[in-house]
Amino acid sequence: MKIVRRTFIGAAIAGLTLATSAYAQDKGTIYYMVPTLLDEFQTESVSAIENFMGQVGYKVATLNADNKTDVQQGQMDTAILTKPKAIILAAVDFNALAPYIEKAREAGVPVMIFDRQITSTVSDFTSVAGTVEIGHVAAGEIQRLLTEKNGSVKGKVLQVLGDPGDPYTLDIQKGFEEMMADYPDVEIITKPAMQWEASNAGSIVADQLLANPDIDLIFVHAAHLAVAAVASLESAGKKPGDVLLVSSNGAPVGLDLIRQGWEQVEVEQPLYAQAAALAMFADKVTNGEELVPGTYDVLGLKSELTIEDWGPDLKIPGAAITPENVDEARFWGNLQAPEGPIEPVQ
Amino acid sequence: MSPARRATIEFLLDNLVWLMLIVVLAVFSLTVPNYFQFGIFANIFEQSTFVGVMAIGLAIVIIAGNLDLSVESTAALSAMVTGMLFSSSGVGMGIAFEPAWLMPVVSLLIALAVGGIIGFINGFFVTRVGMSAFIVTLASFIWVRGLVVAISGGRSAQNLAPPIRIIGMEDILGVPLLAWISVGCFVIFAFVMAKTPFGRYITLVGGNQDATFRAGINSNRILWTSFVVAGVLAGLAGWLLAIRTSGATANLGVGMLFNAFAAVVIGGVSLKGGIGKLPGVYAGVLLLYSIHTAINLMGLPAHFTQMILGGLVLAAVLLDTFKLRLREKLL
Repeated sequence: MKIVRRTFIGAAIAGLTLATSAYAQDKGTIYYMVPTLLDEFQTESVSAIENFMGQVGYKVATLNADNKTDVQQGQMDTAILTKPKAIILAAVDFNALAPYIEKAREAGVPVMIFDRQITSTVSDFTSVAGTVEIGHVAAGEIQRLLTEKNGSVKGKVLQVLGDPGDPYTLDIQKGFEEMMADYPDVEIITKPAMQWEASNAGSIVADQLLANPDIDLIFVHAAHLAVAAVASLESAGKKPGDVLLVSSNGAPVGLDLIRQGWEQVEVEQPLYAQAAALAMFADKVTNGEELVPGTYDVLGLKSELTIEDWGPDLKIPGAAITPENVDEARFWGNLQAPEGPIEPVQ
Repeated sequence: MSPARRATIEFLLDNLVWLMLIVVLAVFSLTVPNYFQFGIFANIFEQSTFVGVMAIGLAIVIIAGNLDLSVESTAALSAMVTGMLFSSSGVGMGIAFEPAWLMPVVSLLIALAVGGIIGFINGFFVTRVGMSAFIVTLASFIWVRGLVVAISGGRSAQNLAPPIRIIGMEDILGVPLLAWISVGCFVIFAFVMAKTPFGRYITLVGGNQDATFRAGINSNRILWTSFVVAGVLAGLAGWLLAIRTSGATANLGVGMLFNAFAAVVIGGVSLKGGIGKLPGVYAGVLLLYSIHTAINLMGLPAHFTQMILGGLVLAAVLLDTFKLRLREKLL
């Protein structure tokens, strides 16, 4: 009995020692506020951020807000109380979280903005592709596709948003429509897929194909909505390429649709680079050091750090994924996380 | 009041929701461009399939005097299981076997079993442990959706096997096969509820559980069965949803619970239990999706969609309340 007890106590002490030494090597905990886990971009962002931050010595605790602003506000309050080294925020609502960013910074907790840009208050670092810019890239590609199909930038485009309460989709819409405003021969029909739910997008496409059989192109704001759109096209007897399809975020399902010929372009949010940038600048942010504007190489992407009214802002270029480049490993939708260690910015 | 007049008024009040549906369809056909065409009506039938099948189970539980908030998540789980097993992309395992016709049958049985298990668990806690159905099914609503995310890792399953997917592509007399399946479900369960002892017991238990128990009917067993039936139907809705979207995403079906509730209430089922008929529920579902489709076709700013839909649902329920008052006054 004594032997068992001694063995148990010995193992406990050894475990405690190991845990303590491991903790001593840690630079501390960083909270990641993920808006939802119901889409592939967000799910993969958790793995990427935990992976990259782990490489530079930080432990990441992830809190999921289930797309609810009030839940994320509560999570911010809780996180601030635990005095983490920093908070990474992908906001459910861009404006509603601004006071909580200010609260965290007043409490001495730096806030890094991930993916969903907040310009209404100052934060310590922003790593984004830019949702408005995604709309711009999509518009450029759609102009090209319409020209190839109709000889010039003209035709009918069905734009399927995500939930109309989500600023993310509204920003993409804004970017897209401001770039398309110069082309009066393009008619844009805009409909929201409530709660980003795929079958809602499918229903919109099915109805619109009947009401507007001359739709040239469908632009959906997330790849998982494109899957339902394709199902409706298929049910309506369409073949790949009959109606052009463009989507955004670069999720694996979108890349599969490009390979099958249903989709022509997927505008990627450079998830891995956005996450890696957080890790590259984490030491500087947590130590309160000044960030120097300039061009940085983030996983091979030339990214520009500028100092804006809302703080240091790193813009990472989003890419247009087409049948020609769809298999490149750099796209997060191929789920090949970059190899090699992340080097903190000196 | 003469018996003939009384019968006419009763008939009209009993079928007011169908009358509302006809009026709404007529108004939309006259005012919404491109609404009046066979394809749009076929779309309405098809789009109402999932909430319709879900609403049958929900209505049965409500008529039995309880609630089932878990049907939406149960459908999502069943869709994800179907997608994961029989899709070839994303998190799909791409299971395929011969003969091909067996694949829809096997996938359907699995989906129904998934739903049945959730319904069985709900029924157990409500009837055996004596917990509130609201709390039990609310918990299921949350944990089952969590299970969907956990088993899929938040990822999608895509490219459902063609022998299963074909069900979502075929039509009979121009109406999608999916719509016929939901019509078939309504016909079968309307018959079960109106013409079989089980249906009558459900209504009796919902009206007065104690009295039913004293009359020698095993009311707990009836209640438990109603939860299993609701689960199985939610499983079927999920299977159909997976077919419609050629796979499953982690957020598939989000928001359908509220549409199902709206349809049940508009369809004349009392939330107090003991009152309600399934044909009315089907009319309620069709009414909702007629509105959805009209909004899809109208050139309205995207942000107003939810507001308009909520307003129209409220108007429909108000009309239903007016109907009840009129019945009390006249009959």
